[in-house]
This record gives sequence, structure tokens and C-alpha cells, in this order.
Amino acid sequence: MIRLLLIATFISLSFSAWSQEKVTINGYIKDSQTGEELIGVNVYIPQLKAGTVTNPYGFYSLTLEKGTYDLQFSYVGYQTHSINIDLIQNESKNIEMASEATYIKEVVVSDKAIDANVVDVQMSKNTLNMEQIRKLPSLFGEVDIIKNIQMLPGVISAGEGTSSFYVRGGSADQNLILIDEAPIYDPSHLGGLISVFNADVIKDSELYKGGIPARFGGRLSSMLEVRTKDGNNKKFGVSAGIGTLASRLMVEGPIKKEKSSFIVSARASNLGLYLKAANVKNGVSFYDINGKVNWRANNNNRFFTAFYSGRDKITFNGGDAGFGWGNTTGTFRWNHLFNERLFSNTSVIASQFDYSLRVNDPVQGFEWTSKIQELSVKNDLTYFINTNNELTFGYHITGRIFQPGNIRPTSSRSIFTSTQLDMMYGLDHGLYISNQQKVSNRITLDYGLRLSVFQNIGRSNVYTYKDPHDNTTIERTDTLHYKAWKNIKVYPNLEPRLAIRYLVRDGQSVKLSYNRMAQNTHLISAGTVPLPFNTWSPSSYYLKPQIADQVAAGYFRNLRDNMFEISVETYYKSMQKVTDFADNAQIFFNRDISTEYRQGKSWSYGAEFMVTKKEGRLNGMISYTLSKTMRKVPGVNNGEAFPSNYDRRHVINMQAVYELSKRWTLGGNFIYNTGRPITLPAGKFEYSSYHPDVITERNGYRLPPVHRLDLSATFIPRKNDNRKWKSQWIFSVYNVYSRKNPFTIYTRTKRDSDGNVVGDGTIKEARMIYLFPILPSVTYNVKF
Amino acid sequence: MKIFNMKNIIVILALISSITLVSCEETIKLDLKQINPKVVIEGMITDQPNMQYVKLTRSANFYADGETPRITNGTVTVKDDQDNTYVFVHNPENKKELEGIYYPETPFTGVVGRTYFLTVLVDDQKFEAQDKLNPVTNVDSVTFKLDEDEKKDPKKAGKYYSMLIYAKEPKPSVDYYLFKFYRNDTLVFDDESDVYFSDDANIAENIDGIEGASHFGIGDTASVQFYSLDHDAFIYYNDLANLLQNAGGIFGSPPANSRTNLTNGALGFFQVSAVSSASAVLKKK
Repeated sequence: MIRLLLIATFISLSFSAWSQEKVTINGYIKDSQTGEELIGVNVYIPQLKAGTVTNPYGFYSLTLEKGTYDLQFSYVGYQTHSINIDLIQNESKNIEMASEATYIKEVVVSDKAIDANVVDVQMSKNTLNMEQIRKLPSLFGEVDIIKNIQMLPGVISAGEGTSSFYVRGGSADQNLILIDEAPIYDPSHLGGLISVFNADVIKDSELYKGGIPARFGGRLSSMLEVRTKDGNNKKFGVSAGIGTLASRLMVEGPIKKEKSSFIVSARASNLGLYLKAANVKNGVSFYDINGKVNWRANNNNRFFTAFYSGRDKITFNGGDAGFGWGNTTGTFRWNHLFNERLFSNTSVIASQFDYSLRVNDPVQGFEWTSKIQELSVKNDLTYFINTNNELTFGYHITGRIFQPGNIRPTSSRSIFTSTQLDMMYGLDHGLYISNQQKVSNRITLDYGLRLSVFQNIGRSNVYTYKDPHDNTTIERTDTLHYKAWKNIKVYPNLEPRLAIRYLVRDGQSVKLSYNRMAQNTHLISAGTVPLPFNTWSPSSYYLKPQIADQVAAGYFRNLRDNMFEISVETYYKSMQKVTDFADNAQIFFNRDISTEYRQGKSWSYGAEFMVTKKEGRLNGMISYTLSKTMRKVPGVNNGEAFPSNYDRRHVINMQAVYELSKRWTLGGNFIYNTGRPITLPAGKFEYSSYHPDVITERNGYRLPPVHRLDLSATFIPRKNDNRKWKSQWIFSVYNVYSRKNPFTIYTRTKRDSDGNVVGDGTIKEARMIYLFPILPSVTYNVKF
Repeated sequence: MKIFNMKNIIVILALISSITLVSCEETIKLDLKQINPKVVIEGMITDQPNMQYVKLTRSANFYADGETPRITNGTVTVKDDQDNTYVFVHNPENKKELEGIYYPETPFTGVVGRTYFLTVLVDDQKFEAQDKLNPVTNVDSVTFKLDEDEKKDPKKAGKYYSMLIYAKEPKPSVDYYLFKFYRNDTLVFDDESDVYFSDDANIAENIDGIEGASHFGIGDTASVQFYSLDHDAFIYYNDLANLLQNAGGIFGSPPANSRTNLTNGALGFFQVSAVSSASAVLKKK
């Protein structure tokens, strides 16, 4: 590893020696109103037909021959900004861009528009437009990025009312969900009705589904990067909102004008009020707090500290039983410019996810707790070699502590005893280097390599078994004791990454990509929808790393001055050692859980078609995905291939926003997808007084298809025009035609509508559960 | 009665959490595949007199009503590890309701510590199983407790007392249990899909008044039976509960047939248990 780092350093040194004749212009690009740094801004030099984009910290750097250039800065939703510069020496140029909304509508934005969709090497990536999302209908009126991610091509929802998603045939735990670089292990509030991401503080979010850059690793299927706002460093602002589910408050402002800023945002549920009003003895609540402090010491050193904490608490019957879960993350980041061309980001990241379950009963009382904690240090460097080469390299190290479960009695008379499952420890190293190289005006490459080395370390006890796959008799033969820090297993993996963009002509490109990903953190969940109560496990003595290879090819075309973006992508993804479980697996509090592991193959392929209209009074997107995902796991379904839980043949998604007038904006969502595969009985039998089902094959049936229309209207009152206090009403109707979308099906003894067993109790029936009928909601937001 | 098993608590709570906020359900008609009926064997050997039987049936279509088909022409024998052989005969009293049930030709009771071997022949197909008779702890006593919640809205008029069970769970032996509850000799459940079973892994020594299933009124007799299980039987009941209470694999593992000690693809189980019991009559206070 050390040798690789040396090579990387050597490469960077030799490059700098080789290009001495050139000079560099660099800087940060910010929003002129808020001082927020803008990510992915196109910086273009017409004379050279070359350029770059700002990195995740809003930084750009271009190394050019001395001379006079025009620099054009363009970004979706912003006025294109142009400067003319006489470049004779290294120079820093920070740019402030004005968002279109701050201008009067008559000013036509006529400069070269945005064609990142076509020009970027990166394919299989979607950026969420927060402005548009706010105008779209949402469940209970809560603006939720995860619900929008579930509508992207190649992504499917785990089920209505869940915050889990599957990307290109991968399971939910194969998505890395990051908030300001810190991983979120369970993104759900209220069991998934809404996600943990409070839209008030989100600056932008990007989903990588394929062609994943070398700087990301650790999960097979996708990376969701959510970045929060930096806080306005020019003036104070407050915004607040009241919705059906939650109330929100956000405060931001400068600490030292233009130098440092803060933002704090909180959200808490209103549900307690309704439940009290309805005299329900169950309690449901959640909250979120996001905070960030941002300090620009000078142009070469910038610091950020971000914090997130969220928690859910649910109690039953006035406190007889209850459970809760929550994520807490912290990120400290230091952006440093070593010189004009060497940009460095160093982050220290901590994350914790925990849950607890408590039953308060003198005899059956117990409390069960479980958590996962991680601490990582990341160093990422970008070396802007010249306009044709941009080298990125870095080293990441993460330590994780897994505490699968502790049980303790909550009263002295309790029938439970104190027990705890062994802790598990993992050390994850990632070392990568990649270069984005402009080969010609038409061809740009991005190639890289990531070396991941995973160590499962002690202190730990590992049981050996006569047959490690026998989960019925479970015969332990020995216990291996490992001391602290001692390697139990080491799994190295080399992960090549490659992306090619070929510009067919202006506004048209073809892209190809390949990535290999390795995953060493596994969610122990045998169901379709993960629960907060599922525990995580590192790769271990028995659990091998999951590996995915994905190739993707796409055609991208923009029409009518980039007003329309069209893309067609196809992919084939092959996954090895996907984690599955034996039939009837006992995944909760099982000391011999390793006997339940079944790892096998999964393969997924598909085509994704998408048309987006970015400008105009009517904008939105339509997408269609045709795909197939199968699994073949020894010891599951008699070793036969079966449709994966993540298999949906057809998926159609539509989103539209129409600006009716200055006061009213209308929004609409429509979704259609093939039902999920489900295991249903092929018969029944009698045993004792029971009438159990006879099961013949895994996922042999499908639920009925899911489709739904949602509408919304956003109203801006006339009073807003001449007062500081800006308000907004959002009316939303979810599931307009009240489609009964299947959530799941279960079987039971036939009962009448009062719940009484019909006849002699031998007749069975199937029941379909569906979650949401038509649901109207109102949200009120203010800003001043 | 809340089930001792941790997993069931979790699944139930999780279901409640995500669904109770807003959810509806309705009966739907499934278009299911047809399969050849499978042989189902329910065998029971205990250390108590007159509790030995083997029931042979076949599986039926999911939507079939009435009893599943009975197998009346089977051959059933049980041996123990002391070379005793017991021949079972079909419905010796020739009662309609006992069709498909085989009883020992000469009555016998199981002995703690012995292993029993079952052989069943049905139409030239041979099914075998073995199970061990483990000891069971004594049930100390049964008392009653007024259930205030049930009193407000009793499922059956006048029946709002819960039974409380007292016992000692022997440590350090590893034990598994199946529990059955009776109201005046009728098997009762809180829900007919409940399976009451437990291991002792997280259980303390004193079972100090744990609630049993269902509710009782003045004059009712409440009884409980503890059946000892071996590990295979515990797994069978665990899987059976998983199957009966499955929600379509949405949160938990997908429904699957129970692991069994029977060979050759037969459904059901051959259970060998020691049984202890206690009962009490709910008197006027």
C-alpha cells in the first residue's frame, strides 16, 4: 500500500515538473445571494473548447498556456457568468453566480446553456433538483429526497411508504447513503414513511448507479451523496414550516461576514398531538437536527463541521412496550490548497446507528439494544495537471464496531437473563488513484483503480462447526479465540474503474463504463424491506465480501439548446457472494447466525430510457426501465435460480411541474411498476389444530402491479410581494384515484368482517395489505 | 399470552410500527398453482398414558374447505432404542371423527431418555423419523389475575381473567418447551395461529407468574401443559410459527416449509415429549 502511495506521489511530482511553462487559474464558485459553494459548475473556455467542472467543494482549477481567455461559468438554474482574463501568472478567481430566480423573468438567459448530461464522462448518475422537488407532490406533504430517488430510472422502491430503495437489481444495503460524507445506516423515520433527510438543509444530492468513480467504495450498487447547505455567509435567514407529519425550523447566517457561517435546522413530528387528540395510547415521535459551521480561513484553508442526529421513538399502550432507533453523524472537513493545482480534502467522520426495544412488564420485561459505530479518516487529493488531465488519489481508513445485541431484564422478577452477543470489529482500508484524461475533443477517459483491504479483527470468538451450513442440528466443534487487533480474516480486493465518453457531435455523446465494487459490510435482513431492527455484520470468518462487476453503455442527447435531455442506458451487472439466508433463517439474536448465511450469485440487466425537460413553464421527466434480476443461491430454493426480490420487469415514472401563474405552480407524479415477486402457497395441510400453507418455490408469484397518481399545487400569496415575510402554501394529494397498491399478501383462517372465524376453521383466505388510500395534505412554509 | 420467542415480538412490533399509522387490507382471490398432494404425518409419543397417536393425512388445495383427505390404509410402527416395537392400528374404535388417526395396538407410555423411531408406509412410500424423549420441568401452580383491559371489552362475555403460571426452569440444562392451554378441556389460543413455544437461552430460573393464553370466567377450569421438546422439535415449531404468521416475506424471511425430522418429503413432525401440567378453577371471590 505504501508503495502505491509513493507511486501516486511520484506521478504527481513528475507531472508538475513536466508542465512548468503553464499557469493556473483556480477558485471557488459561490451563489451570490447565500455564499453557498456550487458543485458541478461548468467552467468552459471557448478558445480552447475545453474546461472543467467544480469539485464537490465548489473548487475549480485550470492550468493553461499564458494568454487571454474567456471563461464561461454555467450552472443549472443560474445566470451564465463570463469573464475575460489575461493570464500571465497563477491567479485565484472566486466567482459569484446569481440564480435565475433572483432576476426578473424578462431577462432571458441566452448564454450557452448546460450540457453536462452529454459532456461529462460520468454516466449512470442522477442529480436531484431540490427546487423542482419542492414543487412536486409528496406523501403527507413532506418533501423527501428518498421518495424522489425511488422514481429515478434504474431505481425501485422497496415498497410504498418505505425509505429503502434498490438500484439496478442490488439490495438495499448495497447503497451507500452519505450525508456530508458520513454514512447513514438506516434512512427511515416512522418505519420509512419519510426519510431522515430534512429538505430544508439539503443543498444537493447525487446518485451514482454505475461507472462509480474510484474515490467511492464499500457498497456494490450505488452511492447517494447528500450535501447540506453551508449556511448563508452574507445575511441571517429563518425559515419554518408546518406540515401534516412534522414542523420545521431553520436558522442560518454569517458568524463573520463572508468568512464563516452556520446553519441549524430542526424538525420534529406533530404526530403526538393527533394521537393525544384521538385518545390513542400509542406514542409515535421523531426528530432531526442538522447543524453545520463553515469557516474560510483564507483561500487555501477552509473548514467545515457538520452534525446530524435523528431519532424515532414509538411506544405502545401507554409505555408497556416501546422501541426507538436513530442515526448520529459528525463530519469534520479541511479543504487545503497545497498549491494552485493540488487540492486536498481531509475528513474525519464518525457515525453511529443504534436501536433499542423495551418491554415493561414485571414478568416479561426486557430491553434489547444493538448498535454499529464507525470512525473514518479520509484524505482525497486532486491534482489539476493541465486542461487534459485531472488526477485524483487518496486513502481512506474506517474502523467499525458492531454490537449485534444485548438483552437485559427490566425487572427483578423478569423471566429474562442478561445476555450479549459478541462484538465484531472491522478495519477497512481504501487506496485509490484515478485520472480523468481528455484524449481529444471527442474522447475523454476516466480510469482508475481502488484497492480495498478489509480486516475482520479481534477481540472475538469464532465457532467452528461440523457442517457450517447445517442450521438444524448446529454442531459446534471448536471455539477459536482471537485477541484484540488480531486478524481473523483479511479480504483484499482490486477494483478497476473505467469510463469513456465519446462526443458524437455537439449535444450528442456515447458513454461506456465498467466498475468493480467490493462490499464488506452486510445487512442481516432476510425480508424484502429492511427494518431498523436488522443488524449489520462485517465480512467475517464465514461471511465473504460481496463483489459486483457492472458494464454500462449509454447514448445521451440534448435538444433545443439543452432544453431537453434524452438518455438511453443499458447495463449488465453480475454480483458474486450476495448475502442471502437459508429458508426459515433465525436472524435475530442467534449466536450461530453463521449457519444461516447463504451466499450466491445474482445477475441483473436492463435498459433505462429517460427524457427530461429542464426549462420552460412546463418541466419534468418521463422514464421507462425494462429490467430483470435473478438470484441463484446454494441452499435456497433447492439451488434453483429465482427472481430476486428486486426484480421488476417494467417501471414507468413521470414527474411534471407547470407554472400556471406567478401565484400558482402545479405538480404531478405518476408511477407504474410490475409487482414484486412473492412466495405464496401451493396448498395447505393439517397439523395439530393448525392449517399451515404448503410452500413449493421462492418468489414463484407476483403481487399485482403498482400504479399511482399524485398532484400538488403551490400557492404564493400576493402579500409576499411587498413584505419581508415570504410565505407559501403547498396542497398535495397523494394517490389521487385511490389505487389499492399491494404492500404484501398473507394467508390466514377465513374470517368474517368482525374478525370471527368462519365455519369450522378449515377454510383459508389470502389478505392483501395496502397502505395509502387517497391522502390530501397541506404544508405551510415561511421564510424571512 | 405473549410468546417467549424474541423474534416474534420483533416481527409483530415492526409490522405494527410501519402499518398501524395508515393501512387497510382486503381479501383477494389468488390464482395458485396446483400440486400433487403431499403426505402429512403428525406423530406424538409422550410419557403419559393414552396420549400416543399418529395421524396420516394429505395436503389439499389452498382454497379447499372441510377436512383434508385422511389416509386410512397406512402402516405405522414405532420402535424404541430398547428394541420394543409398537404396532399402530387405524381408528380401532371406528369413529368417523378419528379417521386417519392410528393408535397403539397395545397401550404403552414413553420413557424419559429413550429415543423413538417411527416408520410409516403409505402406498409403497416409506417415511421415517426419530425423536428423543427429554424430561420436562414440573408446573408448580396456576393462579388468576383480573385483566382490566379485557374487562372493558371482553371477547367472550364474563371472561376477563388471565391465568398465571409458576414454574422453575432448570439450569444449566438446555431445554425446549411447547405449551398448550385449555379452558374446560378445550384447547385455547389468543389467536388460532399462535404457537406457544420457547427455548431457555435467555430465560431466568424463576418463571414467576407468566400469563397464559386466552381469558377465563368464574367457574372455568384453566389448565396448562408443558411439553418437552428436543432441538429438532423446537426448530419445527419455530418454523411453523414463522409460516403461520408470515406477512409475505415483507419484513421477515419469506414463508418456507418447516424443517422436520420426517424423511422422504413428508410434511408434519414426529414429536416425542414428556408432559407436565397444572390446572385451577376460578372461584368467586
